[in-house]
Amino acid sequence: MSSLPIIGLMLGDPTGIGPEISAKVLASGAPAGVARVVVVGDARVLELGMRDARTAVSYRVYRRVDEVAWPSDAVPVVDLANVDPARLTRGAVSDEAGRVCGETLEHMIRLALGGALDGICFAPLNKGALHRGGWQYPDEHQMFAKLTAHEGFFGEMNVIPEFATFRVTSHVALREAVNMITPERIEKALRLAHATLRAMGCDPPRIGVAALNPHCGENGLFGDEEIRIIAPTLDRLRAEGVGAVGPLSSDTIFLRAKRGEFDGVVMMYHDQGQIATKLLGFNKGVTVTAGLKTVFTTPAHGTAFDIVGQGKADPGGLEYALRLAARLAAARVV
Amino acid sequence: MTPVKPRIAITVGDPAGIGPEIAGKAAGDPRVREACEPVLYGPAGDRVFAPGVLSAEAGRAAYEAICAAVRDAQAGLVGGIATAPVNKLAFARAGMPWKGHTDLLAHLTDSALVAMMFWSDPLKVILLSVHVPLSDVPRLMTRERTDAVIDLAARELPRFGLARPRLALAGLNPHAGEEGLIGDEERRVLRPAVDAARARGVAIEGPFPADTIFGRAARGEFDVVIACYHDQGLIPVKLLAFGHAVNVTLGLPIVRTSVDHGTAFDIAGQGIADPSSLVQATLLAARLAARAD
Repeated sequence: MSSLPIIGLMLGDPTGIGPEISAKVLASGAPAGVARVVVVGDARVLELGMRDARTAVSYRVYRRVDEVAWPSDAVPVVDLANVDPARLTRGAVSDEAGRVCGETLEHMIRLALGGALDGICFAPLNKGALHRGGWQYPDEHQMFAKLTAHEGFFGEMNVIPEFATFRVTSHVALREAVNMITPERIEKALRLAHATLRAMGCDPPRIGVAALNPHCGENGLFGDEEIRIIAPTLDRLRAEGVGAVGPLSSDTIFLRAKRGEFDGVVMMYHDQGQIATKLLGFNKGVTVTAGLKTVFTTPAHGTAFDIVGQGKADPGGLEYALRLAARLAAARVV
Repeated sequence: MTPVKPRIAITVGDPAGIGPEIAGKAAGDPRVREACEPVLYGPAGDRVFAPGVLSAEAGRAAYEAICAAVRDAQAGLVGGIATAPVNKLAFARAGMPWKGHTDLLAHLTDSALVAMMFWSDPLKVILLSVHVPLSDVPRLMTRERTDAVIDLAARELPRFGLARPRLALAGLNPHAGEEGLIGDEERRVLRPAVDAARARGVAIEGPFPADTIFGRAARGEFDVVIACYHDQGLIPVKLLAFGHAVNVTLGLPIVRTSVDHGTAFDIAGQGIADPSSLVQATLLAARLAARAD
């Protein structure tokens, strides 16, 4: 029991559905067999989530994570008492909520770096609120890399029950993405895929690499990046022990991954993989910041302002994110 | 009174691929025979093509069968054409400039503007660009092309039983450009095209982030999604309807449908090819031909 990883759960932006789905997951007791979950945030936000979810969570407030007496029947809550949700408008972007979300995560990262948390799982944030609250990073992955003083490669990983995806390019215009298909970037994405999938227990990992052009370029008829860049890079890496199958047509690689042929797919551009994982993932998609010292997971969906407070938000993504954080953290905990 | 069944041409495609096999299976399928009178178009029976072997001869034979079917369709002898796959490399080897059926058919029928559509029960997608390198796609997203394809969709889809189609346009860039932060084609071209089309009375919305619009359409929010490039549309079509989607050409004066797969040289001649997609293509051609009458 005590060998289970300690995962810090952050309740997400309090103006959204994060508190509700957190309360639902905690009330279900679902993660108990895989992790010791401790909520870090404001107990009033958890109370709000319980009201949204029409459920009760038995919890006990602590000042510090290392004061928690494990095993704990009640959910331990490290109460930062840093935001009163009664002062926030639900279902709307709030600078104050964004500021507090960033502070809570920063606090949790300090706990993780100090060894008190083995991983961090957070309910949906609002990017606009974070920006307006003073946390101006292009995305949360770069924020976490900065706050963990990370050097070297890292990146966004998207996970659904069938497979995970890794990105050669991400949030850039398509016209820029095609120019960023370089051996260096492909190598970084593939090595990250190998290391992360191995940590998830896939050994050796089975990885497919997507082509850039339609029909894999049809032997150079519609684009030659496959012949000129992708295939030679994969050949070189294969010789170095970093194996992968590809390049494969992007309209079939995800079908093959869905059928269980691959643990991971390396995609060339954002929508290539996101179309597939969002279509297949339904409520189970999880986003992971891969390659950092600390494990970070979050559901792939957002704050869902349109259904806040209605009690109908689906907690499936958050539950899967907690399980994944536990699995990734367990691979690192001795 | 028994309605007359339409005659539908089935072209066998590249004779070295699985085309002749699936064409024969489709023509014999009871559902097909119920809906139409299928007529096979292909090289004469005494001509032999080694299965799975790329050749200029096979490419030319595929081409000639298509030409014959188009002539007969234009003369009204058949009500539509369902095509088995051709091999683009065999076309190239035979010195023919067409990258596939769609541009060949546009040429044969003098059609100025055609668009490829994939038709399946869960999802219907029209492509703004098709067989081009991805690096060419952004500059092909012109206002002229976008306007023309939107109008083509609005004009043609009623023939498919969509009297007033609800169209969605996918964005080109991640998150549909995130208000201009990630690429400007949405702001510069796609959004103005949608606004102008709505002003012309077309029911269209967008541009939407590509990673959620196909799911929304599959759940019934829209009838047809217009995708900016081949894989953007084909990734969701294949995930949701692999082997059942039909490729339809919009903008031709004749009815033409096709399979959603290739020549599968690796299994040609083994008798194991699945004719489902060609069966669906033939059934849709029969349905469209019946409407055209």
